Amino acid sequence: MIGNLGQKASGWIVNIAIAMTALRTNLMRSILTTLGVMIGVFAVTLAVAVGSGAQVSVMQSINALGSNMALVFPQPDTGEGGRRSFDRGRLTMRDARAIEKQISGIDDIAPQLRTNIQLIVAGRNASTNAVGTTPGYGKVSNLVAASGRFISEADVRSAARVVVLGPSVVTKLFGDYDPVGETVRINRAPFKVIGVLESKGSSFGNDNDDIAIMPITTTRQRFSGDTLAGPDDLQMLFVGFEDGVSLPTAKREITKLLRDRYRVRGKDINPFTIRTTEEFMKESAQVTGIFQIVLVAIASISLLVGGIGIMNIMLVSVTERTREIGLRMALGAKRSDIRNQFLVEAAVLCVIGGAMGLIFAIAGGTALTVYADFPVPIGVGVGIGAIIFSAFIGLLFGGYPAVRASRLSPIEALRSE
Amino acid sequence: MPAGTPKQMALVETQDLVKNYVLGGETVRAVDGVSLSIDRGEYVAIMGASGSGKSTFMNMIGCLDIPTSGEVRIDDIATGDRDGDALAELRNQKIGFVFQQFNLLARTTALDNVAVPLIYAGLGSEERRAKAKAKLGEMGLGDRLDHSPAKLSGGQQQRVAIARALVTDPVILLADEPTGALDSKTSEDIMQIFQTLNDQGITIIVVTHEAEIADQAKRRIEFRDGKVIEDVMIKKRRQTSA
Ligand SMILES: Nc1ncnc2c1ncn2[C@@H]1O[C@H](COP(=O)(O)OP(=O)(O)O)[C@@H](O)[C@H]1O
Ligand SMILES: [Mg+2]
Repeated sequence: MIGNLGQKASGWIVNIAIAMTALRTNLMRSILTTLGVMIGVFAVTLAVAVGSGAQVSVMQSINALGSNMALVFPQPDTGEGGRRSFDRGRLTMRDARAIEKQISGIDDIAPQLRTNIQLIVAGRNASTNAVGTTPGYGKVSNLVAASGRFISEADVRSAARVVVLGPSVVTKLFGDYDPVGETVRINRAPFKVIGVLESKGSSFGNDNDDIAIMPITTTRQRFSGDTLAGPDDLQMLFVGFEDGVSLPTAKREITKLLRDRYRVRGKDINPFTIRTTEEFMKESAQVTGIFQIVLVAIASISLLVGGIGIMNIMLVSVTERTREIGLRMALGAKRSDIRNQFLVEAAVLCVIGGAMGLIFAIAGGTALTVYADFPVPIGVGVGIGAIIFSAFIGLLFGGYPAVRASRLSPIEALRSE
Repeated sequence: MPAGTPKQMALVETQDLVKNYVLGGETVRAVDGVSLSIDRGEYVAIMGASGSGKSTFMNMIGCLDIPTSGEVRIDDIATGDRDGDALAELRNQKIGFVFQQFNLLARTTALDNVAVPLIYAGLGSEERRAKAKAKLGEMGLGDRLDHSPAKLSGGQQQRVAIARALVTDPVILLADEPTGALDSKTSEDIMQIFQTLNDQGITIIVVTHEAEIADQAKRRIEFRDGKVIEDVMIKKRRQTSA
């Protein structure tokens, strides 16, 4: 039994040796055929990696928001249909305070007014997005001051002219210098830099560090008083929850509270919209999933073309070597021997092509990660999968030519020229 | 052995062997009802004009071609009931082929060429090498093991082919015009080899046009239009030199 297995194994080794000889004999043709599979495996591997990279990226940027959070916007929620009793969205600071007081499980809240600002110091200038908010913003957004401090309740109460800068803004204005305590001019008014944020990197080519944070009261007074309808209006409210709080339940409670406050009845449209991080995650997983399927489908076409190339070359090879097949049959080769010989040849072509495709995909993925700032993880699993998959392509597309070779009649094969 | 043993079992036996080819609606009877029996140890020369059906006959007794009707028995095995794989095994174990055009694998060494049948016999690589080397040595090619066919003369190539035919220790050697592509001097070498092999007890069936080969055989069978028209034992053997 063991001896028999040994013979079988050596039979495969012989088949591989025969295949390698045949491939070497037609080196140029073998290389060109391999190229097709190489491009196919390269494309599929990279597509899978880019897809999962996108997923990772999206999840990262959602996580950067804070993991357990509801976002409330003053936009009428038209999702459910019904009568619209408001001419515009509603969300005020008083609503925020009510939510904070009456909803359970809240960690902190962060109302927001955003505006673009121009910063100038010693002839250098930078423009960035300023978030007017409260100290809670640091907690719900996982922002920490790397140097100096974050804004305080006192800053908010007194509408202090203080600002916390993101690292990118600091680099633009001050270079390597720590600006805490310095004064910058924002839209011509002097502001004191009280802190610098810890870097949050970037996601999707979007620089999370290009930001400035100041008390919401300051923003309201200086920058956006006239853009809002009411003096108490908010652009957005972050509500951060403690771990383990059910976001769907919390969303229902906030909805009920705000509906009561605005006296929305029955099926009427709410003047506000609530989204949770959980919903964002689900939606992005769906979107990136579709994105990945489309990418892989397109890439698979090139692998299919590569496979057809293999089949084409194997058919040529079988035709060219009909006489050799006849001779081998005369010398005792069974059908399975002939079939395996050609299957191995196709599989060897594909595995070599697959390995090269994988190497190029790893190179391409690394280049994307380094230069395009987009994570493209090519794991061991993807690599092994690519090789196995290309062997499978070889067997699939080499199968027909191999079976055709094995069906030849020995004498007709021998007679062919 | 039981008493009254019947006559010795024939090694090759054909019964009403027929092979038809249909060409453009017309049926060509390439082999037309041949019944004969060849015993162990015989040396048979098959002769006849071109197109008389010699090759077709050889291919059928070599189990390379399927008869239209009739039967071929090899070593008392009825070949008609066997499928392609079983016939491949039979060819591998019992029959050695020598072709007019040598049919060696190009860009493959003499040693690897001779070892091919042993692959299909399921031998390991060490054993294959050893056996192939020994057979090439017997054919006087011990110093040409690593030569590819392109680097060998016609006579040397045919000797590699004979080594390949014999490497599985078959009971029959089938040779279809083995000297057809060789000059007369080289042909003589090959004939000498055949004679020696037959002296060692190997049954040889050879298709030939050359009278010298036919003279050296023990039996001559003449084909015409697919039929055997003469089948004679040659009593007196030519003196074997050396
Ligand atoms: N594959 C084939 N298809 C059609 N006719 C064939 C084929 N092989 C042989 N024949 C015909 O059968 C006859 C015998 O051929 P063959 O056995 O090759 O003769 P020989 O070997 O004696 O020269 C010839 O008439 C030949 O044309
Ligand atoms: Mg012939």
